[in-house]
Formats: sequence, structure tokens, C-alpha cells
Amino acid sequence: MTTVVAPPSVRAAGRPATSPSPALAPPAAIPLGFLAASGAGLAALGAGLVVAARTVAAVPTAPHVVAVAHLCMLGFLVTGVLGALHQFVPVVGGRRLRSNALAALTLAVWVPAVAGIVAGFALDVPGLVAVSGAAAFAALAAAGVNLSAPLAYGTGTPVTGLRWAVALLVATAGFGVVYAFDRQAGWFPLFPVRVLAHAHLGLLGALGLAYVAVAEKLWPMFLLAHRPGRGPGALAVRLLPAGVLVLVGGLLVRSTPAAIAGATVACAGLGAHLASLAGFIRHRRRKLELLHAFVLTGAVALVSAVVLGAASAFAPVGPLTRMHLAAAEIAGLAAWLGLAIVGHSHKIVPFISYTALRARGVSRNGRGGPLLFADLYDARLARVSYAAATAGFALLIAGLATAGPVLVAAAGALIVGCAVVTLLNLVTGPIRAGAWQ
Amino acid sequence: MTTDEGRVIERASAALRFVVDPELGLDIVELGLVYDIRVDDGVVVAEMTLTTPGCPVSESLPAEARAALAGAFQSPVRVDVVWDPPWTPERISPAAAMALGFGARS
Repeated sequence: MTTVVAPPSVRAAGRPATSPSPALAPPAAIPLGFLAASGAGLAALGAGLVVAARTVAAVPTAPHVVAVAHLCMLGFLVTGVLGALHQFVPVVGGRRLRSNALAALTLAVWVPAVAGIVAGFALDVPGLVAVSGAAAFAALAAAGVNLSAPLAYGTGTPVTGLRWAVALLVATAGFGVVYAFDRQAGWFPLFPVRVLAHAHLGLLGALGLAYVAVAEKLWPMFLLAHRPGRGPGALAVRLLPAGVLVLVGGLLVRSTPAAIAGATVACAGLGAHLASLAGFIRHRRRKLELLHAFVLTGAVALVSAVVLGAASAFAPVGPLTRMHLAAAEIAGLAAWLGLAIVGHSHKIVPFISYTALRARGVSRNGRGGPLLFADLYDARLARVSYAAATAGFALLIAGLATAGPVLVAAAGALIVGCAVVTLLNLVTGPIRAGAWQ
Repeated sequence: MTTDEGRVIERASAALRFVVDPELGLDIVELGLVYDIRVDDGVVVAEMTLTTPGCPVSESLPAEARAALAGAFQSPVRVDVVWDPPWTPERISPAAAMALGFGARS
């Protein structure tokens, strides 16, 4: 039998460290609640695209389309990221949230607030948008306060990026509330570039940066890839927020040189993120699996978004085509993040469920072997989710770029399918496992 | 190392082979996460690490290792989580690397 006594050099160097504090992560209901709501948001997004396909394709700035855009941004993406952050930040920061009750309250306020914002846009009730927006801002501010405890304590590239991402998430919400009240008060003209500033702050500065930062922690584990040195990820979490802030400032004051400079720095940050992904893949010590298909397809969507964004800014086209290209760029960024959320949900939800099942004494799978994450979802259904998400987001980008309502409607149907299959898969797997006790 | 201590280490090692990383489906000994097993003043001590600080299973795996040792010994047991030296994939056993599809590179 192999003994596990390490070589003398290792034994000499090995020094006891503080054991991890028990239960750093909040109760499972909190992250799972956010993630379930995010799945519902994805389904609602798909349904919204089907119902409003003609308007979405023709007039990307119409009120119904703004409602669908907020379903995507808030109902799906931000809700999913909040779930991941509430689970992940305490573990990576090595310190608990300030309050689990505050996290539960955040969820309880956030979901109806998002519904109110979407309904307010869809039904053209500006007052409802403003009030719901203020509630959503309060929920995000509460999340920021709650997450600040582990973020203040932790160190390293992921924590650095997450500090910026959480701050910019709260800033994006504040931005949105100002816009909502401006729609009633008319303090300043809401030019399309100012709407784009809001979208880029949220998609790149907050959610994109959160993903870039979290990936630096998750990819080494999921790929078993350890690289010497800090790698380009450390550059990515610094360049991206710096570039986004300059880009957003340039768009707000309609300064083309500032917007271009900011976009260039932000693209350099995104390039560093992709270089980091390539590095992890090159150094991996396990075979690529479905999660990596989500991640790599998302990377393709990100590159597409950058190309479409550049085309919307520089191509010699008319204003209508420029607007469609910008809408397609935003859809590309949403696809990048959406694929990441759906893909990583197939890791995060089984992990949280595993912990809960083990606490209930479930340690074996249905075949008598040790309980694994892979036992908590059906791999075939996960592949269906991947195919539906990939095709759905690709058709959405194409439909917005070409103003094609059929493509948008088909995208919506596929996105609904992705949401339903993913929710069913990730809910029924742990329930089935509960019977193995 | 005395013969008795050698037996304790073998027994502890065997117990820890039942602690499986739920993501990879491999036990913590094969993954090279167990750095040392020894007996300190009658306490069976295992030093283990994780693939990275902040690993999602950072709370559950050491607890499972502790439970596995407690089930194998009457005497007190302790699991210390250490981060120095940091774990690298080179610590994976050849058999485990093969199972992960990277036998040739380990």
C-alpha cells in the first residue's frame, strides 16, 4: 500500500494554517434562490423576445424592447451574478457576509423590484419604473454592503476585480434610477449614446468584470491548471474597469476621443482575459468538458460583440444600421455572460446541493459509489441546454444585426427551451439524489 | 518511524482514500492533497491541502477527512489544512492523471 508520508522537504515546509472557518457560505437557500430566479428571468426573456420579436428587430429603443432588455440585464444576468457572488465571495474572501438576513432581504426586494421595472417599461408607467428602480438600487446597495465584509478581507486578483465589479454594479443601478427619474423630469436629454453608456457600465464594468474576476479563481480549479506567476488575468481586472470608466465618461459627454481611448483600454482588458483563458487551457491537467464548451462559446460571443461594437462606431453606415449593430453588440455581450451563467450554474448548483445533501447524510449515489457533482444533473440535458443557449444567442445577435423578426422569435423560443431544460435538470437532480440516503 | 506508527499511517492512508473530491471523482490521496500523516502525542494528524485557497470544497473536504480518520481510529485525530507548499497538478498520482486524461503529461 502506498503511504502518504510526504518527502522530508515537503514535511519541513508544510506549516499548519488556520483551518477554514466553518460555514463561510450563506445558507443554500440564498444563492439557490437567486439562481432559480435567474432561470425564471431567462425564461421570461425568451418569452419576451417571442412576443415582441417584430418590435425588437425593428426598433431596439422602443419601450417594449427596453422592457425585454431589462429582463435580460436584471432578471437574468444580474440575478444570476448575485447568486454566484453571495456563494462565492465569502469563500474566496475567507470571511462571512455581514448578515445572512440582509442577503435574504436583498433577494426578497430584488425580485419584485425587477418585475416592477420590467412591467413599468412594458406598460409604459414611468412612475412604476422609478419606484421599482429605487427599490432595485436599495437591494443592490444592500448586497454591496453585505459583500464588502469578505471583499475587504480577501486578497488576490479575483478579490481585486470583485471589489470593482460590486462597486460598479451599485453605480450602474444608481445610474438607472437617475435615468428613470429623468424620463419624468427631463433633467437632461437621454441620447442613445447615454443609454449605451449605461449598458456598457453594467455589462462590462459590473457583470463582465465580475465574471473576469471569478474566472481567475474557478478556471484553475475546473481545468486543474496552475500557472507560475500572476498571468494576464491580473492585468484584465485592472484594465477593464479603467477602460470602462473612461468609455462611459466619453459616451456621457459625447467625447469621441475619450470613448475610443476607453474602449481601447477595455478591449485590452478583455484581450488579457482571453489570453488568461488560453493560458489555463494550455496548462490544464484534465480533459475539456461541457463547462468549457460554454466558456469557449462565450468567448466567441465576446469577440463578436467587440467586432460589432467597432462596426457600430466606425462603419460607414446610416444611423438605423448603426443602431442595429449597437443592439447586436449589446446582445453579444449578454451572450458572453449568459453562456457563462448557464454553464457555471451546472457547477455551482450541484456544488451547493452536494453540500446540503452531505449535511443530510447522503454520501452515496444511486450505484453505490461516492456522491459526486456529476450525479446531481443529467449530462445529456446539460448538452441540450448548451445547444439551445448557443443557437438562441447566436440567432438573437444575427436577428438584431439584420433586423430580422423571425430570427429574434426563434432565438426567444430557444432561450425559453434552454431555461426550462436547465431549471428542470438542476432542480430534479438533487431531488433524485435525496432519495439515495 | 516505529512499526506501530507505520501501521497507523497505513491505516490512516487507507481511510483517507474514501474521501473523494466530488468534482473530479478521485480520492484526496491520489490527488496528492495529503502532505503528511503522523502521530503527535497520541493524536493522529493529517496535513492536507486543497487545489487552491478559496476552493469551493474548502469547507467540506477537510471535514470529510476528519470524519474518515475518526471512523478509523479510537484515538484523537486532527486534520490541518496547509497552503505551503502550494498544491500543483504534478502531485497527482500517475493513475489519477490517467483517469483525468493526462497520464502522458503527469
